[in-house]
Amino acid sequence: MSNNKSKESAFTNNPIVRAIGTQKIVVIIVLLVLFGFFCIMSPAFRNYSTILSIFDYSYYITFMAIGVTFALITGGVDLSIGTGMICYGLIGGYLITQKGMPVVVGIIVTILVAMLIGTLNGVLVAILNLPPFIATLGTMMLVRGLGSIITGGISITWPPAGSEQGWFRSIFKISIGEGKFPIGFIWVILIVVIMSLILNKSKIGRYIIAIGSNKEATRLSGVNVIKYHMIAYIISGFFTGLAAVAYAATFQAVAPGTGAGLELDAIGGAIIGGTSMTGGSGSIVGTLLGVFIMSMLKTGLPFIGLQANWQQIITGLILIGAVFMDVMKKKKKA
Amino acid sequence: MEKLKNNPIVKKIGFNKIVLCCVLLIMYAFFSIVSPTFLSYSRILSALNYAYFLGFLALGVTFVIATGGIDFSIGPVMFCAALIAGQLLTKNELPLALCLLSSVIVGMVFGIINGYLVAYCGLPSFITSMAIMMMAKGIGSVFTKTQSVSWPQGVETGGWYRNLIKIKLGTVQLPMGLVILLVAAVICAIILNKTNAGRYILSLGSNKEAVRLSGVNVKKWEMIAYIICGTMAGIAAIFYVGAYTTVQPGLGDTFNNEAIAGCVMGGTSMAGGLASISGTFIGVMIISILQEGILAMGFQKDYQYVLTGIIVLAAVYADIRSRKRKN
Amino acid sequence: MGEVILTMKGIDKSFPGVHALDHVDLEVKKGEVHALMGENGAGKSTLMKVLTGIYSKDEGTIIYEGREVEFSNPREAQAQGIIIVHQELNMMNDLTVAQNIFIGREPMKGHLIDDAKMNEEAKKLFERLNIEIDPTESMGNLTVGKQQMCEIAKAISHEAKVIVFDEPSAALTESEIEELFKIIRDLREKEMGIVYISHRMDEIKVITDRVTVMRDGGYVGTLITKDCTKDDIINMMVGRVIYEDPKTESAVPKDAPVVLKVENLNAGKLVRDISFELHKGEILGFSGLMGAGRTETARALFGADAKESGDIYINGKKVEINNPEDAVANGIGYLSEDRKRYGIVVDKTVAENSTMATLKDFMKGPFINKKKEREVAQKYVDSLKTKTPSVDQLVVNLSGGNQQKVVIAKWLVKNCDILIFDEPTRGIDVGAKSEIYHLMNQLVAEGKSIIMISSEMTEILRMSDRIIVMCEGKQTGEIRIEEATQEIVMQAATLRN
Repeated sequence: MSNNKSKESAFTNNPIVRAIGTQKIVVIIVLLVLFGFFCIMSPAFRNYSTILSIFDYSYYITFMAIGVTFALITGGVDLSIGTGMICYGLIGGYLITQKGMPVVVGIIVTILVAMLIGTLNGVLVAILNLPPFIATLGTMMLVRGLGSIITGGISITWPPAGSEQGWFRSIFKISIGEGKFPIGFIWVILIVVIMSLILNKSKIGRYIIAIGSNKEATRLSGVNVIKYHMIAYIISGFFTGLAAVAYAATFQAVAPGTGAGLELDAIGGAIIGGTSMTGGSGSIVGTLLGVFIMSMLKTGLPFIGLQANWQQIITGLILIGAVFMDVMKKKKKA
Repeated sequence: MEKLKNNPIVKKIGFNKIVLCCVLLIMYAFFSIVSPTFLSYSRILSALNYAYFLGFLALGVTFVIATGGIDFSIGPVMFCAALIAGQLLTKNELPLALCLLSSVIVGMVFGIINGYLVAYCGLPSFITSMAIMMMAKGIGSVFTKTQSVSWPQGVETGGWYRNLIKIKLGTVQLPMGLVILLVAAVICAIILNKTNAGRYILSLGSNKEAVRLSGVNVKKWEMIAYIICGTMAGIAAIFYVGAYTTVQPGLGDTFNNEAIAGCVMGGTSMAGGLASISGTFIGVMIISILQEGILAMGFQKDYQYVLTGIIVLAAVYADIRSRKRKN
Repeated sequence: MGEVILTMKGIDKSFPGVHALDHVDLEVKKGEVHALMGENGAGKSTLMKVLTGIYSKDEGTIIYEGREVEFSNPREAQAQGIIIVHQELNMMNDLTVAQNIFIGREPMKGHLIDDAKMNEEAKKLFERLNIEIDPTESMGNLTVGKQQMCEIAKAISHEAKVIVFDEPSAALTESEIEELFKIIRDLREKEMGIVYISHRMDEIKVITDRVTVMRDGGYVGTLITKDCTKDDIINMMVGRVIYEDPKTESAVPKDAPVVLKVENLNAGKLVRDISFELHKGEILGFSGLMGAGRTETARALFGADAKESGDIYINGKKVEINNPEDAVANGIGYLSEDRKRYGIVVDKTVAENSTMATLKDFMKGPFINKKKEREVAQKYVDSLKTKTPSVDQLVVNLSGGNQQKVVIAKWLVKNCDILIFDEPTRGIDVGAKSEIYHLMNQLVAEGKSIIMISSEMTEILRMSDRIIVMCEGKQTGEIRIEEATQEIVMQAATLRN
């Protein structure tokens, strides 16, 4: 027993392990094990197009998850991201396909609307002091209706690849000769680096962590907590906008009324990656890794005969498991 | 205004409930004026169809909100129960009564899991219940192999359960469901206000630690609130299929929001400790009339989502304000 | 000691119903450690809150660096160089040490925070203070002692000229206190003015130059520490005229049966090896200073917090108490020091609160017999003289004293034989206070037994038949009322180890 313990602490005290973080290493191992498992179970999984598909599924979840990580770090949550993403994708696509606007304008509007809703969430939580989960539940319903009201309830397909306006799709996937390359992953890495810097090296990130850790102490230190609390939700909105663009670029159509439940993929990914439900700590790299577990499952489960419905069950179980671990971690510390 | 508020009759009923009733009447009048077809009896029955299952969901979740928690799983749990019970009925050909019972049991089981995780494991209720929501969606869909399930349509062809919704007397259709929902509301009100379960649920929502230090097993009673909620979702399933007969897998989460909106509008506080069954009942009626009215005016259901969202935000904000003023 | 840096003169402050500060004086010189002493509730914290602008004063002047000042919030005071190191630490546990110290004024390099420079500065700061703390360690991983060092470092990095230490040693170990003293001496060298609030007599002697004593919101006097003895200070602290006669003799017969026996109770740092007996019809007073572990002992005994070890016997029979349910089932009732948080359910009525512990007895089938509930509640409203328009009134609308009576009623309805009163008269006005005393005497006369935790010396001496004194989680004295004086109790309460 004691031997076991010392082994464990020898592992966790290893400087390399410490630098990366125990949880992240565990997540990476789980990711590899999952990948191996799917490869062994299904020959069809061992295929380049499957990997492409894992990446396709990862983009929009990653963006949402990076955004919601900031909301989670403040000790709150943003439930409006799932239906929000669809709403913003509908609005942007509507302008492009029905109103004949250039794709650039569509993308900008998509992101602006997303930031607007993020600001609304920020006002509700930081200024009006509504509980974050109920405030963002309200906006979740709001955006759910809003998108299809604006588009008149129809599905929107952003311009297809190869068409004159379809260039934006190659932001995420480009054709090189016969094959395709998931170039989006490079952008994702870039954004992860930038957001890690913002979280860990900028005032915004520092104060958001401080707010989640002890809001009153932060306020007494002379920090404008309302402003930074709001910024967290605006960041969450901004990334939901990015997610909407990624979603529109990787999938055929944006359909009104969908999107509910996607926020849980993102929140689940963030929590698996080590971001705490109770606020104060979080990691963008961890979130990315957590999201890959989610998208690996989304892609891999059908290969072993488990369809979307099983994914939902497993997402639920993972979420409970992740939150449970988070609660236990806090308990152990106290 | 102050005078009206202090009138003994107004005080007895509760000022906000009177306001709610007025809202209900004004809304009804408004829809009748802008949409002439709204005044018909069939429209009323249709609005009531919506009110039945939503009513059961909202009555159940009132107990959870009273503890200071939340349950986002009720809509999908209702669908899951309806799918499983429907599958047992149509594919396994079990007797109808048994299937209705199994629907209630499915709801209850979800309530037990949810309650255990929140009360005994100390997980936050909103994220736990969202996870349960995902699982309920998935399980319902796995059970039916992602097929939708159609319960028997006609009363004569083995669908006597539809009498629970509407009963034909001669040529007139009587809203049986309204009677049952009222009875259920009365029972819920009795549980909440006249039994020890209700007393403890409300008290622990207000101050859990004080109740614990009074020697009360707060975990048990908190869990019971979730079990009541789950069970009511199972019952709601019966009324959903009684009204619409067909259930699709993977849906139901919008009903959570509408049920919660009904509760908070009716004066149940998101902070816990204060709950009103009659308020929830009126709140549900408002939401049902709203959705029927929006349909009658030829708008999409989306407007209803937007309005429900605004209602929730406004009601919760009003609750926070009134609590602040009190302290 | 150098010139005077801070003078507070004639500071007067009243709250509704309480005269919290009655023309208090305090003078701090550069390069001086000035002790501020007094019992709980003497007004030390209030005085410091007036200094840093958390409270505004009614009368008096504050002269700082030669000019009159009035701060409207702690940040203003901080900007001028007056800083309080609080007893309860205000830290962001998820941030690193350096990040905590420099929060709100991070050194920047372009748009990014220059963490390297920050860590460097923090390191320099610690070197200056001779503290060994890694600036990159996360705050939550440090011991309370180290966290306190960080808070001091933060204060110094703000160019502080006056630092107020509010009971800094309460949570520190022996060696940490040594380290703290080293820092304080160092600060004294650097000509800072230091106010040191503490209950610990031996520390006062070791570290301070002068001592100002307060009592009941008033200024008693200022002494030069090396010229006075511990007894001098104690006499100044307790030397009040006692208006209410202390109990001179216990009415409990010597052979009264033991109703509760606690053996070697341990629970955390503040409950170490507590053993005592409670006799039938006795009021057993628990005295001690803040953080002595009295409430913690009561909570562990009641099962509200987990205990590590210890045996509890009720009427000679060993009982297992693992949660409040067990305690209540064994006839123990607990009135918490914090009524609002642990005693009453504010959204419920007087009647509903009265039956919270006994609802089972009020059931008629599945329903609550509200008629019986209201009758019983009314009975206790009458007998306790609770002032409420009716038993249907929400308790939130009652005054503190009457809320307390509702909590007492809750345990009387349960017919508990053992009652724990934790600070029974805190926040209660004078009239209601004597009613509660009367009630307690009546209860023991009826054969019930009471454990009374109190920070008020007069209350302890007036009510108790026997007094147990605690200091820092340990029992430091057991005094029969016949022998008890303020001085003896205070001696025991300040007895470390």
